[in-house]
Amino acid sequence: CTEKKKYNYCTDCESKNHSNDRCPNIWRSYITNSYNDNHVFAYPGNAIYCYNCARRGHYGDECVEYRTSKTPNINGSAFTGDNLPKELR
Amino acid sequence: ESNSKYPWIRNNDHSRQIEISDWLTMEIKDFINYISPSAEEIQARNGLVKKLRQSITSLWPDAELYCFGSFATDLYLPGSDIDMVIVSKRRNGKYDNKSSLYQLSSFLRTRGLGVNIEPIAKAKVPIIKFVDPTTGIHIDISFERVNGIKAAELIVSWINETPGLRELVMIVKQFLSVRKLNVVHTGGLGGFAIICLVRSFLKLHPRVVTGSIDPLANLGVLLIEFFELYGYNFGYDSTAIAFNDKGDAMYVTKHSNPALQGRNPFLLAIQDPHDPSNNISRGTHNLRDIKRAFGGAFELLANKCYDMYNASYKERLGQSILGDIIKYKGKQR
Repeated sequence: CTEKKKYNYCTDCESKNHSNDRCPNIWRSYITNSYNDNHVFAYPGNAIYCYNCARRGHYGDECVEYRTSKTPNINGSAFTGDNLPKELR
Repeated sequence: ESNSKYPWIRNNDHSRQIEISDWLTMEIKDFINYISPSAEEIQARNGLVKKLRQSITSLWPDAELYCFGSFATDLYLPGSDIDMVIVSKRRNGKYDNKSSLYQLSSFLRTRGLGVNIEPIAKAKVPIIKFVDPTTGIHIDISFERVNGIKAAELIVSWINETPGLRELVMIVKQFLSVRKLNVVHTGGLGGFAIICLVRSFLKLHPRVVTGSIDPLANLGVLLIEFFELYGYNFGYDSTAIAFNDKGDAMYVTKHSNPALQGRNPFLLAIQDPHDPSNNISRGTHNLRDIKRAFGGAFELLANKCYDMYNASYKERLGQSILGDIIKYKGKQR
């Protein structure tokens, strides 16, 4: 095969796992509350659990244990510390 | 034509939304409006329950009739059945026997209160199944089991304090019922288990728990992320869903509780909030198909979002995002 491998790069989120037209940010966009709306963000200390190892204190995307799900997590999920509001990260 | 396949999009076009997830949020709300019962349907169901309560207490004056399940929690799909339980006022288990089962069956028959009456004595929970002759609604009556009533009370309190829970549960229920994956007898996911999955997802979501988003304004992205969690990432082999005394969601390892372990490690485990020695989803043997269906729904929804994001307004017109995963057959509402 002489065809060049399609090079995936998303300039929107700087990921090499997908191209711009298939960036998860297209659907993973939230309508957020802000401090200006008098919303006080609560630190979710007791509500951070890992979907992979069940332990408290980290999210599944950051788990260092062996991943039990056979389905790959290529682009990251909602359950990552990066998905906390900026002020709490 | 597309309108008849996705009747909820009629007169509700959101194709000009800038954010695709807002389009999906609006379509979810349209779909729920569409499948919600009309005032006449609610009256017919309430009237039926009242009639049965009056008739049965005329047979057994010391009996009380309660509703539980999806009818009691207002989470029922069109055409779903009504679950009722007969409890003796003194709570002495008086009606928990075969002779009560057959006495009530013949009473329903002679009074013309039901057709296709089937007393099922050999089941783990003996019940009478019948159909109301005027409305065609299916009814299940069980005897002296109060855990269904307790679960219904808990679910109603969860619905009231968890924005978005009702909406996501209705969508997931319809999604599973079309695929026949919502029937526990055949290894599917029961109503209470679906509610636990959605509540756990919402209560542990980093955006929801911090108050950064209002779930009702973000149903579209949350639905996709629900399918992402349980279709792609959840570690079913080692992780179990649980709730503490206050109802807060948490995960526990399966090996922390023998009730959560089965012979097969790839089984969903949900610790019963009322009884830690019970796994609510122990009958859900067909996790493989359920996980595959959730993963497929994630792919279909995400791909449809990419397609619509890159499409022209003309191409978007009359399109449905939800229609790729939800079918609604049945009479026009």
